[in-house]
Amino acid sequence: MNRTRGKIRPPRRGLATDPVDFDEYWDTLAQSLREIHAKNASRLSFEELYRNAYKLVLKKHGEKLYANVKQLVVEHLKVVAVRDVRPLVPSAIVTGGAAFGTASSVEKRIGGDKFLDRLKVVWEDHQLCMGMMKDVLMYMDRVFCADHKIPSIYVTCMGLFRDHILRNPQYNIGKALNTVILDQIKMEREGDIINHATIRSCVYMLEALYENEDENENEKIYLTSFEGEFLAASGEFYKQEGVRLLRECDAATYLRKTDKRLSEEYSRSHDTLSTLSEPKIRAVVERELITNNIKEVMDMDTGLRFMLDNDRFEDLKLVYKLVARVDPEKQALKNMMCKRLVELGREINKNANPSTALAVAPAAVPAENGDSAKNSGAAAANEDKAANNLTVIAIRWVDEVIALKDKYEKVWTRSFDEDKGIQASMTGAFREFINLFQRSPEYMSLFIDDNLRKGLKGKSEAEVDAVLDKAITLFRYINDKDVFERYYKKHLSRRLLMNRSVSQDAEKQMIGKLKMEVGVAFTNKLEGMFKDMNISDEMTSEFKKMLQNKEGSDEGKKIDLTVNVLTSTFWPMTSMGADGMQTCSFPKELEALKDSFTTYYLGRHSGRKLSWQANMGNADLKTSFKGVKKELNVSTYAMVVLLAFNNIPAGESISFEDLTTITSIPQAELIRTLQSLAVVPKTRILRKNPATKDVRPTDTFAINELFTSKFTRIKVGMVSANRAETEKERKDTSEKVDETRAHQIEAAVVRIMKQRKVLSHAELVSEVISQLKGRFNPDVAMIKKRIESLMEREYLARIDGERHTYKYLA
Amino acid sequence: MAEEDTNSVVLISNDGFRFVVRKSAAMASPAIKSMLDKRSNFAEARENKIVFQNMSAVILEKICEYFYYNEKYRDAKDVPDMEIPPELALELLMVADFLHT
Repeated sequence: MNRTRGKIRPPRRGLATDPVDFDEYWDTLAQSLREIHAKNASRLSFEELYRNAYKLVLKKHGEKLYANVKQLVVEHLKVVAVRDVRPLVPSAIVTGGAAFGTASSVEKRIGGDKFLDRLKVVWEDHQLCMGMMKDVLMYMDRVFCADHKIPSIYVTCMGLFRDHILRNPQYNIGKALNTVILDQIKMEREGDIINHATIRSCVYMLEALYENEDENENEKIYLTSFEGEFLAASGEFYKQEGVRLLRECDAATYLRKTDKRLSEEYSRSHDTLSTLSEPKIRAVVERELITNNIKEVMDMDTGLRFMLDNDRFEDLKLVYKLVARVDPEKQALKNMMCKRLVELGREINKNANPSTALAVAPAAVPAENGDSAKNSGAAAANEDKAANNLTVIAIRWVDEVIALKDKYEKVWTRSFDEDKGIQASMTGAFREFINLFQRSPEYMSLFIDDNLRKGLKGKSEAEVDAVLDKAITLFRYINDKDVFERYYKKHLSRRLLMNRSVSQDAEKQMIGKLKMEVGVAFTNKLEGMFKDMNISDEMTSEFKKMLQNKEGSDEGKKIDLTVNVLTSTFWPMTSMGADGMQTCSFPKELEALKDSFTTYYLGRHSGRKLSWQANMGNADLKTSFKGVKKELNVSTYAMVVLLAFNNIPAGESISFEDLTTITSIPQAELIRTLQSLAVVPKTRILRKNPATKDVRPTDTFAINELFTSKFTRIKVGMVSANRAETEKERKDTSEKVDETRAHQIEAAVVRIMKQRKVLSHAELVSEVISQLKGRFNPDVAMIKKRIESLMEREYLARIDGERHTYKYLA
Repeated sequence: MAEEDTNSVVLISNDGFRFVVRKSAAMASPAIKSMLDKRSNFAEARENKIVFQNMSAVILEKICEYFYYNEKYRDAKDVPDMEIPPELALELLMVADFLHT
């Protein structure tokens, strides 16, 4: 009634002036309240009770009323405690608890259940009665309690329940309650079935009661007196459980049991206890079963290693799930997995190590080579064979590494939720063992070479892509990318010059991928090589056209010349064996052709220098043995040697000395060439006298007229295909790599100093490392040496007084 | 004589007038609401009838009018004023306090 207008008249009846006799009203009220306790409310008139309380409060008897109601409730509760609850308190708790454990579990359960049930009933009665009283005394709550800032009667009476029932000084009911609930939970954990609903109601009761009348959320009786005991008891239980499981189960079972326990506790805290405890009990289980034991579990025979080795994705998933619960970094899991990974990697490395691999190799070398191993030629052949074996090993190594990676990748996606951190540590592990293996860049390039040469036949584009992608992922792990580049260039040049590459597209794709990985600087030489090849193709056809147009000349009609003009900076000349001028005297018809191309080329591009690299070419020769036409595919050197026999009568022989003079091929190369022509059984086109296994300067050679072969086209294997390097070659390569690195370091130092002018030693070194780490990991000692060398050459100088600072000298 | 209709409640004044009021409207008073609470099962709840010993029919009528007024405009803005005769104002104030309305 918020609107009043006009004149206000006094009420017709002076309610406020009626004298009220407190005792009279209270007697009626008390009588009614007792009826409420006795559950006889239906006979009472709410309005009457309400009106009585209203009047008492109105007449300033509020305080007395409040106290009296309290007194009444206390008396009632005392009766309840003695009459209803006490008989059911498990006797042992009252007397001290010593004999409690002896009761059989069934008795215990039933006894406990009854006790909880009674407590629940008592509590519900109390709640109901207090609810009614609160309604009836609403006016008192609203006016008296609010005015005097004292807790409402309901809250006070809840406190009374706490003090007189739960904390009953004589019967220890609260403690009994805790013990009984804990006991029941323990029984359930051990597999018994208990009555969830009763426990739940008792927990509700504990949750509804507070330490004091402020009803602070953190001071629920449940939290203050029950939860601590519950967590302690659970901790103890799970500690024992952990020990027991470790003793009895294998790792997978342990994990599954732990997982089950966790979900049990979760549902327990939802159905039986309070959700308030859910995170806490979870922490307890996690601590006892996971944090404290997980390492041990993973170390078991059936632990992480076993799971990884046997593709137990489900188990691994569980490991991940559980470890992730306690440690967001999953450190233990990461460490163990990486350890295993590196272990496997080392295993692969060991198998691919030349020294162990070569132990297998002699068995593969045919016996005919075995007895003459001391001879230089056979030794060379032997080495070649060993190197070819190494190639196989190299490819196997890469295959194994890729397989390992695939396997772990699978584990990672299927079991580890594609966890970024785990991926990072997996990458670390791969990097570690791959870089531990010195030959990894070489082997990787060999693998790619092998695939591009023959492996891609019959594979779809997608498959090609997959193979190359895998190669690239491994490439990513390599620290010494410059070493890889060196090998890759060498292998690529062989593929290009000998037309061994299966698909230009695949080559380009590969280079594109490398470019994406490490940038243009890395690949521009590789691309340059391709450009050279294309330009050469164009030029060759143009040259041929020109020759055809030239009347009166028949050069070029008999001989089909293909020239590859290579830009010497792009191509790995030295590692192709073309240090200096590798040339020889061509027969005159060839010489003429060569000269005419040289003229043509220099006519097009003046100022360039063209040097002919005979050691890298090859030629097809047409000939006939006893009337059978044969086509021989030989190296340029072999061609020159064979053509030499054109100029002598059939059946005559030429001595080694003469061949050297005629062809002017370097001696080592000539020996190799003759070996392939006169010693290797399948391509014995020349007859050697004496017919020994090796070529000596005193030997003479003649055409082997009796040569037969079932093929029309014969390939004389001279220039060996890409293969792993022998020890000696490897040493050369690494020396060359070091040399290149020295230049790169110097270039980096100068670049940095030019920009910064003055820099301390430590800063300079770290700058250099950060600039170069995309290509290789520079050695600090090496950097220091280069800085010293630069100072000698007066690019840099030490600043006086500051020993470790350099300045740039323009 | 219990009122059959559970959607309404009978309010009776001290001079015997009966007012049948929709329950939802009468529930505006917490006091009436708890009187009718089925759980506590008081006589009023059982019989669905409340006798107000301290209210005359005139007052109770005005109370009932307010219940409907309150329900009608509960969520509305620009509420028209309710007509309250000045002579009833003080008594109504006291009853409002009693009913906690």
